[in-house]
Amino acid sequence: MFASDMSLPNMLYGRVLKSAHSHARVKAMDVAGAEAMGAVTLTPDEVPDVVYCPRLVSIPEATYRDWRVLTDKPRYVGEPIGAVAAESEEEAQRALEAVEVEYEVLGASFDALDAMRPEAEAIHERIYLEDDLLDVESNVGCALDITEGDPKALEDADVVIERTYRTNRRYHNQLEPKSVLVRPEPDGGVSIWSTTQTIHNTRLLIHDIYGIPVGKIRVYKVALGGSFGSSIHVNPVVNIAVGLALKSGRPVKMSYTREEDIRDHCSYQMIFKLKLGANRDGKLAGGRLEAYLDIGAHQIQAYPLLGCVVGWWVSLYKLPYVEYTGKAVYTNKVPSCAFRGYGNPQITWVVETMMDELAGELGVDPLDFRLNNYIGEGDLFWGQGPSVKSIIRSCGVEEILTKGAEMVDWYNRPKAGAQTGRFRRGWGVGRGYHTSSAGAPVPSSIVDFGGAMLKMNEDGTFDYVSALMDHGCGTQDAHVKIVAEELCVPVEKVNIIKADTGTTIYDVCTHASRGVYSGGGAALKVAGKVKTQIREFAGRILDAYPHAVRIRYDEEGDRTVVYAEGIEGREVTYREVAETARHKNWGTVSALESYRQPSCPPHFTGYFIEVEVDTWTGKVKPLRVVAGADIGTVINPLLAAGQVHGGMAQGWSMSLLEDTPYDPETGDLVNGGSIANYKVPTSNDLLDLDDFTVFFADTYEPTGPFGAKGLGEGALNPVAGTVANAIQDALGVRFFELPITPIKVLEALREKEG
Amino acid sequence: MTINKVNTHIVPIEFEYHAPGSLDEAVGLLERYGEEAQILAGGTDLIPQMKQRKAEPKHVVNIKRIPGLACIEETPDGFRIGALAKLRAVELSPQIKEKIPLLSEAAQSIGSVQIRNLGTIGGNICNASPSADMATPLLVLDATVHIYGRDGAKTCSIAEFFQGGGDINLGRGEFVTGFTVPFPPVGAGSAFEKVGWTTFDIATVNVAAVVTLKGGKIDHCSIALGACSPAPVRGVLAEAALIGKEPSAEALEEAVEFIAACVEPRERWRRAPPEYRRRSSKALAMDALSRAIERARRFP
Repeated sequence: MFASDMSLPNMLYGRVLKSAHSHARVKAMDVAGAEAMGAVTLTPDEVPDVVYCPRLVSIPEATYRDWRVLTDKPRYVGEPIGAVAAESEEEAQRALEAVEVEYEVLGASFDALDAMRPEAEAIHERIYLEDDLLDVESNVGCALDITEGDPKALEDADVVIERTYRTNRRYHNQLEPKSVLVRPEPDGGVSIWSTTQTIHNTRLLIHDIYGIPVGKIRVYKVALGGSFGSSIHVNPVVNIAVGLALKSGRPVKMSYTREEDIRDHCSYQMIFKLKLGANRDGKLAGGRLEAYLDIGAHQIQAYPLLGCVVGWWVSLYKLPYVEYTGKAVYTNKVPSCAFRGYGNPQITWVVETMMDELAGELGVDPLDFRLNNYIGEGDLFWGQGPSVKSIIRSCGVEEILTKGAEMVDWYNRPKAGAQTGRFRRGWGVGRGYHTSSAGAPVPSSIVDFGGAMLKMNEDGTFDYVSALMDHGCGTQDAHVKIVAEELCVPVEKVNIIKADTGTTIYDVCTHASRGVYSGGGAALKVAGKVKTQIREFAGRILDAYPHAVRIRYDEEGDRTVVYAEGIEGREVTYREVAETARHKNWGTVSALESYRQPSCPPHFTGYFIEVEVDTWTGKVKPLRVVAGADIGTVINPLLAAGQVHGGMAQGWSMSLLEDTPYDPETGDLVNGGSIANYKVPTSNDLLDLDDFTVFFADTYEPTGPFGAKGLGEGALNPVAGTVANAIQDALGVRFFELPITPIKVLEALREKEG
Repeated sequence: MTINKVNTHIVPIEFEYHAPGSLDEAVGLLERYGEEAQILAGGTDLIPQMKQRKAEPKHVVNIKRIPGLACIEETPDGFRIGALAKLRAVELSPQIKEKIPLLSEAAQSIGSVQIRNLGTIGGNICNASPSADMATPLLVLDATVHIYGRDGAKTCSIAEFFQGGGDINLGRGEFVTGFTVPFPPVGAGSAFEKVGWTTFDIATVNVAAVVTLKGGKIDHCSIALGACSPAPVRGVLAEAALIGKEPSAEALEEAVEFIAACVEPRERWRRAPPEYRRRSSKALAMDALSRAIERARRFP
């Protein structure tokens, strides 16, 4: 059951009133027509006067706030300025169309660099950071500069390349549009079923906005129809629906249409100016990165992202000198938020592209150049930004690159750019990584801990309760496996219990590829505690020392047995332990624990991709993919391979297809909000499974549950760089803007070859 | 304020739904309501248009209850295909696959299985999109359109049926009941080619071609191009350039040079600039002709 599928008796259907202008003041709003139809309406002056940030992952000192539930100063086409609720979706839609709005239209910017010009209209005049009200200058929402090392290292480099790159602005295109069902409760509280990656942060934000005591807000876990980062923050529809439910006193359901969803969230478009230097010995000398993040009309996690962009960059390769200046710039566009990889696919595309260029200048093989410079075991790692540092304890980079190279016979590949026919083939290599969680040995500006409860039932089975959301990637499945492994039971003996904020302890969010590593860490911790108690109780029953008893699964009897080795008759089943504990009033074998990981180990990935370009139509086809991943112990090989396939598909799409440009005339999306005009590849556009090989490096992460790390984001991050390198290999043309569409390919070829 | 109207989920407009049981009943409704009526023939175009408010008919006339409109019948002149024949049925019909594989190939290229199970050949043609995938095969095969109106049944050639800019040749009260698609000449090879951004996408360019060979020379050649002019068009200059020639690579290259002169892509079409359509229509014409020739060669 998804939030979109749910309904309750006496429920109203809500619809959001969206701004028709990309920047305006709402002078007047007349809801009389809607109310005459019997609809409940909600206007900006009826919601709490609270300015918030919808993402509660960072600590307050790192959380800029500029959102309201409904605004009377919309800053993008589609921004919620009101809402209605009625007995059916059709009635609600008719009521919505009856609302009259008078606007005073203001100037708008649709490009980060334009928005920084002095004459550009201010999108936000003031925003909050903790209790401070900050003036916004040049539409820069926040900024971060970091310099490390000696600038001479870069100045004296033998080879220096400097380029400007521009990424695309991608829509998450998750299967389930944002949805919520809110029920007002007799005690003044609310119950919420919503599309979210974090039930606890949803509860906290509703508390912050509406002042309802935390314990009277219950947010229930419901299956999530995909997210890719678009519900790390609490989606605006949730806050609006709560307002409608409180005003109407009735349950309110709101499900965004696809057109609303595409105007609700997207990735961060980034403009990079990157300078990298290298020396003839094949080592990088240093780099300078200017990053302009187009964050759209509001901040969701711009400041932490500024830290991650530099973190992702400097943790790919060893750079003796690093100079970074990052600016997050407001534009009159849909607010950007995390999208699988959180800036990492963007910067990795740029770096991996330039690594190939540098290798070419130095006359070394691009693969050897990478092997010569990567950051690996024992090195300091700060992928999650300058406040999250730890030492790398497991690394499969070399294995991924050398084994992959063997599999595709890399060093004997055809010479680049030698082809002249209509169809031209090329090979690309690219590598990357992502952090598994945002854990670190010391507190940072990011909250990263979770928790779980595990109890033994009277029949010797277990109930596992956790607030951690599963997006459909099998995270909970991994937890069950971890618990089952620790307790020597088949996975069927571990039940996942439906849960909500009232029955679970805090988990920050399923994001940052932390589900298995961090969430699984909590699962292992409670399983370990439960195991200790089982040993205690079994020890009492067997008259044996708890630390000396052993545990085995007896397949024939389908039961787990605790026994004292070598001593006849000294054994007891889990079921007997649980029963005895109940009869003798020892209590329930159970554990409830919070858990914080001490590190955020990178999971490493590498791709080898062969493409074929049709130089007459500009279409690019994938021919062969070999992908290697170092995720420590592989908990579920099929699901893990599936993550890599999905990462390839999403990365392929990022490289060649996706973008959401704006029409400055209307201020709206060129695609008009329609996914018929927003293409992503289907299985028919990708490879035969026979041509797609995934392998896993033989590594073990000492801090991970049973040696495991994450994978979700690392599976995507290197793809765009690899595809771009393969296209360059085929055509001898390098592209500095994503996506590389058939139209751009033909234009570039015409320029090169006429 | 279209931002608050346009979507692909809710139909909030009120309309009257009609399901006539006969051709004459349908004509009566269409005559009575004129511009206010729209025919529902599957709904894969009309329903999204109503949700997006590009169409706001006061009367929706669903013709599915009229007997015989979903037929696929082999006749001595070719196939009689009813307007309501599902695209999926055209794609899967063993007789069509055997006798006019071009139709099957074009139908298969449309959307997804779900779309093809709802969408009909009549809807695909009467929606009058320049990119309609069934249009180019019907053009190269010189299909006949069957029309019914106040004065009974009449026919019109498919070439005359498209009038460009989304217009079709139908008078008040008239509607399409089906098509007669002649068999290709004996020994013909045919091919359908399409480029879109993905396989589910509508065509950025589509091309259909039919070729026969006689004594090692091209005897018959017809080629049609979609999505690169206001209506699907025949590539007559390219056809003329090939007839009587040996099907060599040089001849083909010369012929497709004429393609650019046959198409008129519009600047305002956002999906791709005219230059892209011109270049890729030439590429697809080459592909379609080459494949059609290769298939014609297989004929003993």
